[in-house]
Formats: sequence, C-alpha cells, structure tokens
Amino acid sequence: MTFRQFAFNNVLRNKRLYIAYFLSSMFTVMVFFTFAIFAFHPAFSNGSVNQNALLGMAAAGGIIYVFSFFFVLYSMSSFLQSRKKEFGLLIMLGATNKQIRLMVFLENILIGFFATVGGILAGLLFAKAILLVAENVLIISESLPFYFPTLATVVTFGSFMLLFFFISVFVSFILRTNKLTDLVKGDKQSKGEPKASIFLSVLAALLLLIGYGTAIYVEGVGVVYAMIPVIIVVTLGTYLLFTQLSVFFIRRFKNNTSIFWRKTNMLLFSDLSFRMKDNARTFFMVAIISTVAFSAIGSLYGFQSYLTKGVKEMNPFTVTYSPWRDDSKEIIENDINKINAILEEENVEAKMEDMELTYYEMLDQDRQVLITKASDYNRFAALIGEETLNLEKDKAIVVEQSDAMLTQGTKASEVLMASNVPLKSGEEIKPSHVIKSDVLGELNGYYVVNDDIYNQLGTVVRSDHSAAWKAEDGQTEQVIEAGRKLDERLDHKAFSVEYQLYEINKAFGPILFIGLFIGIVFFVSAGSFLYFRLFTDLDEEKRKFRSIAKIGLTETELKKVVNRQIALLFFSPIVVALVHGIVALTALSHFFDYNLTVESSLVLGSFALIQIVYFLIVRFFYVKQVKRMVF
Amino acid sequence: MLRLSKVSKIYEGKVAYRALTDINLEIEKGEFVSIMGPSGSGKTTLLNIISTNDMPTTGEVEIEGENPHKLKKNALAKFRRNELGFIFQDFNLLHTLTVEENIVLPLTLDGTRVKEMKEKARDIAESLGISAIMKKRTYEISGGQAQRVAIARAMIHKPKLLLADEPTGNLDSKASKDVMKMLEEINDKEKTSLLMVTHDPQAASYSDRVIFIRDGKLHSEIHRGENRQAFFQKIIDMLSLMGGDGNDFSSVRV
Repeated sequence: MTFRQFAFNNVLRNKRLYIAYFLSSMFTVMVFFTFAIFAFHPAFSNGSVNQNALLGMAAAGGIIYVFSFFFVLYSMSSFLQSRKKEFGLLIMLGATNKQIRLMVFLENILIGFFATVGGILAGLLFAKAILLVAENVLIISESLPFYFPTLATVVTFGSFMLLFFFISVFVSFILRTNKLTDLVKGDKQSKGEPKASIFLSVLAALLLLIGYGTAIYVEGVGVVYAMIPVIIVVTLGTYLLFTQLSVFFIRRFKNNTSIFWRKTNMLLFSDLSFRMKDNARTFFMVAIISTVAFSAIGSLYGFQSYLTKGVKEMNPFTVTYSPWRDDSKEIIENDINKINAILEEENVEAKMEDMELTYYEMLDQDRQVLITKASDYNRFAALIGEETLNLEKDKAIVVEQSDAMLTQGTKASEVLMASNVPLKSGEEIKPSHVIKSDVLGELNGYYVVNDDIYNQLGTVVRSDHSAAWKAEDGQTEQVIEAGRKLDERLDHKAFSVEYQLYEINKAFGPILFIGLFIGIVFFVSAGSFLYFRLFTDLDEEKRKFRSIAKIGLTETELKKVVNRQIALLFFSPIVVALVHGIVALTALSHFFDYNLTVESSLVLGSFALIQIVYFLIVRFFYVKQVKRMVF
Repeated sequence: MLRLSKVSKIYEGKVAYRALTDINLEIEKGEFVSIMGPSGSGKTTLLNIISTNDMPTTGEVEIEGENPHKLKKNALAKFRRNELGFIFQDFNLLHTLTVEENIVLPLTLDGTRVKEMKEKARDIAESLGISAIMKKRTYEISGGQAQRVAIARAMIHKPKLLLADEPTGNLDSKASKDVMKMLEEINDKEKTSLLMVTHDPQAASYSDRVIFIRDGKLHSEIHRGENRQAFFQKIIDMLSLMGGDGNDFSSVRV
C-alpha cells in the first residue's frame, strides 16, 4: 500500500464520513452548472437579449463562483475539524506534517473531481427543468429548448477543478497541527464559554436600533445616501448581537436558577452557551447571507410590481389614442379606423368612446388647464365601469389621478382647488371638492363641469382628440398581439397597456430570474451552513445524550431538548434576517413611495415557510440518528 | 432486594456470542456486593442487564419484586432515574454544567422545586466534602473530586440500589481509597444496596461479599469476615486460583 493508495482508500472506504462534504461540494457545482447552461444558451448569444442582461448574467456567474469558493472552504474546514482525532492517530503512528498535508490535498482533489463530475451530471438532469422555469419567468419570444451544453460543461469543469485545486493547496497549508495530545483528545476539550461585555452588548442593541431607526425614518432619495452607513451599522450590530448580546442574555438566564433548573432547560441552555462561540459565527453568516437573499428578491419583486402596477392603474383602458398636436382631422379619423381594423384583425372585441379634450387659459395659473363636461367624462367612466358623476348646475369638481405615481411638490388638486373656473360672462365657479379617478390621463388634474356651464366657458386655447377602447376580459393574448401591431403602425400614438406590461416584463424578466437564482443559492447555502453546524457536533451530542440516558432520560424529554436545540439553531438567525429584510423593504418602499407590504410579506413569508419545512426535515433525521444511538 | 434467576445473554451477529449463562444471583437490602472476574468474563454485561441498559436474552431480573425489563421505555427511564443510582469509571459528568448542576440533574429532569434541590445538593456535598467546588466546572476538578461528584449525583435521590462500574478505574490509589471509604460509609449509613463491578482487589475488599464470574458463569463467592486485610488476601488468592496472576488484569474491559 503506497501512501497515495492509503489516501484514496481512506476516502473510498469511508464514504459515510465524507458524504456531507461531498454532497455540499456537488451542490455548489450543480448550481453553477445549471446557471451556466442557462447563461450560455444559444438563444441568448444571437443577440435577441440586450447586452445589459448578458452583463448581469456574467456578474451573477462571478458572484456564484466567488461564493462557491468560500462555501467549499467553509465546509472543508468544518469537515477537517471533525477529523482531529484521526490526524492525531496518524501523527502518533509517525506520519509527518508534510504527509498529512499531502493526504488532505489528495483527498480534496479526489473529492473535488468526483463532486465536479457528479454536479455536472446532476445539473444535466435539472437542465430541462431550469430552462422551462426560465422560459416562463423570462417572457422571451423564443423558447429555450434543451441543448447539449458543451460550453457550459467545459467552463464548469475547468473552473471547479481550478477551485478545488486552490482550496486543496490552501487548506493543506492552513492545516495547523497542534499538540498531539490535544489532537487525540479531539473535541473533548472545552473551548471555554464566551464572555460578554456589558458595554459591547449595549452597543449591539444601540447599533441595531440606530440602523433600523435610520432605515425606517429616511424617505425618498435619502434612502440611497443612508444605505451604505446603515448596512455597515446593522452588520456590525448583528455581529455583536450574536457574539455579545445573546451571550449576555444566556448568562443572565443561567444565573436564574428557578428557570434554568426547570426540567430540561438545564440541558438545553448549558449546551447553547457552551457552543455559542462556534454558533455565533455561523449565526452571523447565515443571518447576513439570508438578509441579502431576502432583500435582493424582495426589492426585485417589489420593483417589478411597482412598475407594472403603476402602469396598470394609470391606464384603465385597453387602448388609448392621442394624436400629435398638429394632426389634422383626416389623420385622426384615419388612425382611429386603423386601430379598429387592427383590433378586428386580432379578433379583439372592444367598445370605443372618443371626445375632445379642451384646454383653457386660467387667470392665475401659468398653464392651460383641461376642463371637460360631465357627459363626456361619464361616457369614458362608463366604459371602464367607474362611477359616473351627477353634477348639479353651476358646480365644478377637481379630478386628480390616483396616487400610484406621486410627483414631487404640491399636489395637482391643491393648485386647482385654489383657483376658480372662469366663465365667458366674467362669473367664476368655485370647485366644490376633489375626487380621485383614472378616467382621463391628465397628470396635472382637471375640472369637470356641468354641460350647461361647459357651454358658457371662454375660448378654447387648445383642443386634443382622445379615443379609448376597452376590450372585454379574457383576451389578453390577442390584445398583446394587437398592441404590438398598433405600436408598429401608429408610431406611438396608440398606447396599449397589456403590450406595455408585456414589454416591461420582458425587459425585467432576466433580472428577476437572475436575482431569484442568486437569492435562492444564498438561502440554500445558508441552510447548509446550519446543517454543517448541527452535524459537526452530532457525535458529541450522541455521547452526551447516551450518558444522560444511562441515568434515565425518557424519549419525550430527549425529543424536547433536541427539538428546541435545533429550532433555536435554525430560527434565531432566520428571524434576525427576516427582521432585517422587513426593515430593508420598508426603506425600499419609502424610496419608491409605494406600498410594498403585499410583496414583502409574500417574499419573506415564503422564505419563512421554506425554512420551517427545512427545519422539519433536518429535525426528523437528526432525532432519528440520536435516538438510534441512545435507545 | 435484587434477584436474578437464570439470566443468559447471547449477542446475535455474524458469530453469535454467549456472554452470560444461567446466572442466579440475589442481593439483600443494604448489602454491598462486588463482582470480579477477568476481562471478557461478562461482568459489564451483567451490570448492564441489572442497570436495565441491556435486556437479558432469557431469565428474569427483579428489583424489589418488580421486573424493570417489562416496563415501557419512558417508564423505564423514570425507573432508572428514581430507583437506581449509577457511578461510572469515566464519571460521565456533563462538562457543560457546573458541579452543582451536575449533581441536581436527575432532580431537575423530574421537576423538583429549586429550593429543595439546593438543600439536597448542599447536604450531600457537605457529607462528601465537595462543598468548596460546587461552582466549578468539571474540567477544573481532579479525578477523585469528579468521582465524588458522580457519587453525589447518584445518591441525591436516595436510590434503592447503587450500581458502580469500576468506580476506581481512573483514580490513583489515594483517591481510590477515599472513594471506596465513601461508598462503604454510604452503604453503612443510608443502608443503600450496592453492586460494584471491579478489577481492583483493594476496592473489592471494602464490600461484604465478592462474586467471581468467569466465561459468563458464576465461579464462586467469598464473604468478608471481620478483617478487611484478610479478606483482601482471600480475594487475591481466589484470583490466582481462577488462573493467571492476581495483578495481571488489564484495566481495559470488553
């Protein structure tokens, strides 16, 4: 048996020991590979997707790669931690440091090779699924058929063999060989309980409060300036929260014997404080990574809904037509006929209304103001099923658009309410109240007056023609197709909401997809960190529970302790991340001045749900393992 | 108090192994019995069966007229916690807990009131001379102290039967002597029945009766007379008679 054979057999015959490390490495390769399959898809390279999206994808690939590096490094080092005893034994038998490093290096290369190959194979299985998902999220005109990803395979294989090579070199160098007895004793030694300083604990709470306070308080553009400082403050605060404040609370708790000595609390919390040093780092990392995932996905989703919802709310009609200012009557008539023809061509059943928008000079305002008669307004309102107005004689009201898109400065309605509607006779009519409606698209607001009064108004300064169509529900596809044709043939005079939304989604799709992908990668790896944390201590846990079971520990008590222990491990960082996420998304909604509650709760809620499912699965296997050993 | 009738244990596996054959054994209330025998003779198997950590293949175990092996899992755990006390060679203390917390652990699991726990822990610590180290952690105390803490934990709920597995195996001679004296005193004062498995003839000489087993069968037993010194000699003689030298028993058990 040569040394090389020894190192290889050590891995191959010890599959159980290496499986966790192997699987997590394979997982990272798989993630990268599936992303590469997507990114290198021939449908993109022929230039149908814009350059920015491709750049974004390249950046995303880079982020995944760098992240993979740290992830593999972390799994490697936690894996080596659990093998101290083995190294001790080898040194005792006379292995030199150099040989141990060589062994670790060889093992790593071997595992790395198989993980890369395995990851690529597993990725191929998922390729079709990921392409299908991409096709649906992306809204691209071409479909994304399955192809044999030669380029993606080569790139993945090359970059990951390189990654594993560097990690092997890196790890074998940082592998410190401590005193032999320490190694052989392995993890039996106490790492010492972490101590908490009151000053730093208070600082932690303070930093978090300041960070949260600022993030929630600032509005508009201030959010951008506050972002970097808040991120730094909150990150620091989170670190101190886990390393200091939590330790502080646990210690306080331990000193309270009436709680600490109650039933299984003692077992649970003594362990918690004992492990806090290791846990704190993991918690911190998981909390930050998850926060990044939550905020990224939350903001992208929120941004998309902000864009689409705004457009939708402002444009209740299927198609609106507004001609250029100098278009003659014939052109307008011609255009309207064209639109009707196109709608008919696409089998869209729609009703149409049109009117003249008349603008008047106002005495105390430096702009022309739209004044419409109630009957015109009501015709348009009826078309989209809005409430019609029943105006008494010599009454006027102000209409402004609903505040989906708020402009800076004074509201349109305030300006209009402040002045009166002048009549030919020199009389003036004071507007009575403001209503919100999207019936007519006029950003600056307008007056609606009774038909009789309308006839008594002064001279019309400007008059625009406006026509609107409302299609019956359930014709989305035809409407989009019609919208495309309208856009082509009427050079932007006709506006179709559905088509506009389709275009926004199409442009936004790749960004959303990439964001979603990276967010999920981050979140899943956060889960893996927790898994590693839990299973590194598994052997010691088993030993501990066995020795307690000898004295007498019922299965229910064991389950209770283990259950709470895992719950604390799994949920404390995620709860912190969720709170961070809520604050971040609140700040975002302040920035847009747009309510993101539904979107935030949807994103954060689904992550919380996933974490709960993950917790249940891990708990099932963990309890099974411990129970098999103990009872 | 404790009665074993025709207890046998066979370990199934690729090669079935008969660890114990038809063991009959009875221990009176307040008696202090040692079990001795060479490595692999089945001492630990026997103790595991009595301590309900292992099931006999055939035969019956009765503790105060009750067969604990017939209890359900949870009830069995409670039985162990309330009726039995354990002392181990490697102390089996939890290093995440302080000495005091280790001692009250069985009571905490039972949900005793804190005040009562504190009192009991203080009393027992005083009688075992470990009051000064109550707030220390387990890695800050010596082996002898650790074993005394383990005894305190085993005794805090006043068990009917105290089971000790090589209690002096990890201790130096001075600490061994202290621990054995302490066990003898507990047996004397509290009238706790005591069953101990040991390799150490010195330790065994503190008991009332020594039972020798070999190859899973009872070999013989000797009773202590008035003189511990003479008893010690008799144990040594018996060990040499059983084969091998009196002092060549390794401390590594199967």
